Order: sequence, then C-alpha cells, then structure tokens
Amino acid sequence: MNARRVLSKIVGLTQTTIGGLFMIFAFLSFYNIFGIQEMLGVSAEGIGLYLWTFIIFGLLSIISGLFLFYEQ
Amino acid sequence: MDEPHLKRDLGLIRTTMLGIGGTLSAANFVIIGEAAGMAGYAVVPIVFVCGILSLFTMFSYAELGTAIPLAGGEYTFAKVAYGGFPSFLTGWFEWLSNMFYTALSAIGFAYVVSYLLPQINIPLTAVMVVIIFAIVNLRGTKETGTVGTIITAIVLAILGIFVIGGWSYVQGTPATTQSASPIGILGVFAATAYLFELYLGAEAVAAAQAEVKNPGRNIPLAIVLSAVVLIALYTSVVSVAVGIVTPDVLSHQSSPIAFVAEQALGPAGAILITIGLAIAGLAATNEAIMAQSRVLYAMSRDGYLPKGLCKIHKRFCTPHVAIIVGAIITVIFAATGLVNFVVYAVNLGFIIGFSIVNLAVIKLRKIAPHLKRPFKAPLYPLTPIAGIAASVFLILFIEPSVLILGLELGIVALLVYYIKMVGHHRIRIAFGGISLGLGGFFAFVAYLVGTNSIVLHGVSQEVSTLIFYVLLFVSIIQVLAGILNLIASDR
Repeated sequence: MNARRVLSKIVGLTQTTIGGLFMIFAFLSFYNIFGIQEMLGVSAEGIGLYLWTFIIFGLLSIISGLFLFYEQ
Repeated sequence: MDEPHLKRDLGLIRTTMLGIGGTLSAANFVIIGEAAGMAGYAVVPIVFVCGILSLFTMFSYAELGTAIPLAGGEYTFAKVAYGGFPSFLTGWFEWLSNMFYTALSAIGFAYVVSYLLPQINIPLTAVMVVIIFAIVNLRGTKETGTVGTIITAIVLAILGIFVIGGWSYVQGTPATTQSASPIGILGVFAATAYLFELYLGAEAVAAAQAEVKNPGRNIPLAIVLSAVVLIALYTSVVSVAVGIVTPDVLSHQSSPIAFVAEQALGPAGAILITIGLAIAGLAATNEAIMAQSRVLYAMSRDGYLPKGLCKIHKRFCTPHVAIIVGAIITVIFAATGLVNFVVYAVNLGFIIGFSIVNLAVIKLRKIAPHLKRPFKAPLYPLTPIAGIAASVFLILFIEPSVLILGLELGIVALLVYYIKMVGHHRIRIAFGGISLGLGGFFAFVAYLVGTNSIVLHGVSQEVSTLIFYVLLFVSIIQVLAGILNLIASDR
C-alpha cells in the first residue's frame, strides 16, 4: 500500500467519523441535551434549521470519507 | 457452479395466506373506529366498496404477476413497462413503504399487547419483533410461509369467533336507527379514502412471485381469493361492530374491536380479540419483511443499488443481505416510534405503487401485445382505469404534508439514482468540491470563534479555544479530503 492510499484511508476514516459526530451533535442540539441550544444562542423555533444543516454536513462528510476509505 | 436462486416452494394455500396475512395488520382494526366516526353506519358499505376498488388493482397485479414471473412486484412491472428512472422510483417507494409498513405493524403489535401487559416497553417490543421475524425470513420461504400460514389461520379463526359471537348478540338486542353519515357525503368520501388502507398488503403475493409454484395458476387465484376473503371478513367485522356499539362510541375507542368484543362476549372476548390482533400484527410484520427484501434484491440485481444486496444465501436460498439491511433500517424506525411519519410513508408508497401497476398493464398491452399472459384482467381497460381513478381519488383526500413528504422522498430517490448511474469518478470529483467548500466554511467559523466574533454563552475562554482548534482540525481534514477526491484516478 503506497503512502497516498494510506493517507486516503486515514483522511477518509477521520472525515467519516467527523460526519457521524456531526449527526450526533445535530440530535443533541435538537433535543437540547447538555444545554447546547442556550450555548449556541439558538431559539427553540430556529433549531430545525440547525438540525437539517448539521445532518446534511454530516451526510456529505460520511459519503466523501467513504469514497476515500474504499479507494481502489 | 450454478448461482444460488430463490426456491419455488409456495403452493396455492400458502400463497393465498401470504396475501391475507400481509393485510391483516393490527392497525387496521384500530382505524375502523375512526372511520365509523367519519361515516356513521355508512362505514359498512364503504368497507365493501373499498374492497371492490382494491380488487380492480389486484386484477392488474394478477395479470402482471403471471406474465412477468420474477421477484420484485411493482418495481419489476415498472421496469418491464417503462424502465429507467420510473422503475427505480417505483422500486424506491415500494421498498420504503414496505419497510415502513414493517415498522408500523411491529409498533401496532406492541400497542395491542400493551392492552393486556401495560408494563411493556413499546419501542423495545417493536424492535424485538422486527429482529425475530428478520431471522425467520433469513431461514427461508418454507419456514416463512409455514409460520405465516399458521399465524393467519389462527387470526382468521379468532375473528370468525368474534363475528359469530357478535352476530348472535346483535340478534338479541333491539335495532337502533341513526343517519347513515353524521357529516354528510364528504365524511363518506373521507372515510373511503381512509379505509382503502385496509386492503394494502395483499399484493405481497406479487412481490414473492419468484417463489410460487405453478405461478400461472396460483398467483391470480391467490390474489383474487385473498381479496374475496378479506372483503367478506372486514365487512362482517364492521357490520357486527356497528351493530353492537354505535359508530360515535366506536370512534372514541383506542381498540374499537376489543371494546366491542368486551360488550358482546365479556372480558374473555376482549382478551381473545387482543390476542388475535397481536398475532395479526406479527403476521403483517413477517410478510412485510419478506416483501421489502425481495424489492431490494431485485433493484440490486438490476444494478440500481450495490450488487452486494442481491447476494443469495447458499444454504437457505434467501436474499440474506437485503433482509439484514432492511431489518436494520426498520429497527431504527420502529425504535423511534414516529408513527405518523411511518403511516404517511406507507400510504403514499402504496398509492404510487397501485397507480404504476395499473398504468403498466395498459402500457404493456400496447407495447407487448404478444406477451404470454396466463391471466388477463377482466373487463380491460375498465379495471385498470378504475384502479387509477381510485388512486387519484385517494390523493384528493391526502393531507398536504404527506404530499410534501412524497416530494422530498422523490428528490432523495433522484439523488440516489443519479449517484449510482452517472459514474463513480464524476461523483468523487463532485464530493471533492463539496469537501473543499466545507473546509473553507469551517475555517471561516474557526476564525470567527478564534477572534470572539461568535459568542458562545456560558463557555469559558479555555473551552472556546478548544472549540477553535477542533474547528481548525475539521477544516484541515475537509480540505485534505477534497484534494484527495479531486486528484483521484479515473478507475
């Protein structure tokens, strides 16, 4: 395995993990666990937008990371 | 070595029971109360009319099921008639709706059981039901068909006891008079659209056609037989129910049929009917898992989804990967308890499926007139047109939020189709660009946090600094990922 493939696997795995953490963070903020809504200064009405934004960011990161991780 | 394939080991009785079992969901006997509130005593003829409307589409299923004896149901029919994106969209909605239907049946089972065992955990029970029946399905259609046949026979026997016992009770009580529909013709239409859901699931026969013995004879017979049995059963149950309890009272019960059974047969009757409905929930879960896995298998076989999903287990001859993937997603939906979302998805998916099947019958009669059709829909083209009209009629009474949901699911389907069909390398370049964009965005947010332009309430300076470094790290990873995806070789 050459250096570039090793780097792709490391970066891909890290990006996928970041994406997964983003999606978990989306649900934590939606249900206001650990008072995240107050910390971010987000109103309860506006949290839906944050939820979808984090989920989309998370999904894109996971897919991109998987492309790198499974690179031939 | 020959590729393992699905075994044809379902006879007429088991195939018919597959259609009945797929339809007899516990939730169906709950919505009868709500419909009675909408339409009053007119709920009895409405149940009958819904069955006839459903039968029109079942004729189309029978014609296509025998002419195209391959696994996949509506998806396979759409593929032969239209191909490309329409067939993918049909399969996509069919798979989703069957998966949601599995979750709904499992949740319905859990709610019915909680009538006798109020201490049970609803989501956990639903999840356990999905897992158990996924394992049963993994072992093969022989076991699946046998278990399903026994369960359906027990449910039919219990509902038979309810109908006979209730009918005897009705004969001994004075007749009551009330207007047919308390809220007029609109109430009747709304109840018709609402109760059409009663007959969803009988098309499971078509989805399992690759495993049916002598499909030319057994599939149309099983579809028509199951429709006739269901029309007789539902009409009898509802007649007895509104004969014992007024529609208004019925509409306020969480488990209307169990309530009626308690009035007519005493507490033992309520317990018996609850057991019957709980078993019905299990049967519906079983059939829906089988149906969704076969659709996923067929879509994968045709290259619309990853090839791994169409692997057949060498020992059990079942699409084990498709069953496991579907079960995992179903478990997630069952565990959330998002009942409304699940019901909406089920109804929309089936309406789209019914419309496509009827359109496919008309299209194939035109483009493939010499296709061998062991069974032809009677009164063609009136029957498929009536089926389409019934679907359009249903859509008129669907809530706007459901239609928006359908649009969203359609957009997701378009994205999946595009990603799969447009080519791996171009998609990687697109995701490389997206990752670079995300990297730039996170670098900007890190800058705002680092310069205190964004105030994080109740967060100390040390934690704020830590967040800055985390965001910087995320930004670097996103940029690196973007570059690596952009410079990837075209293989």
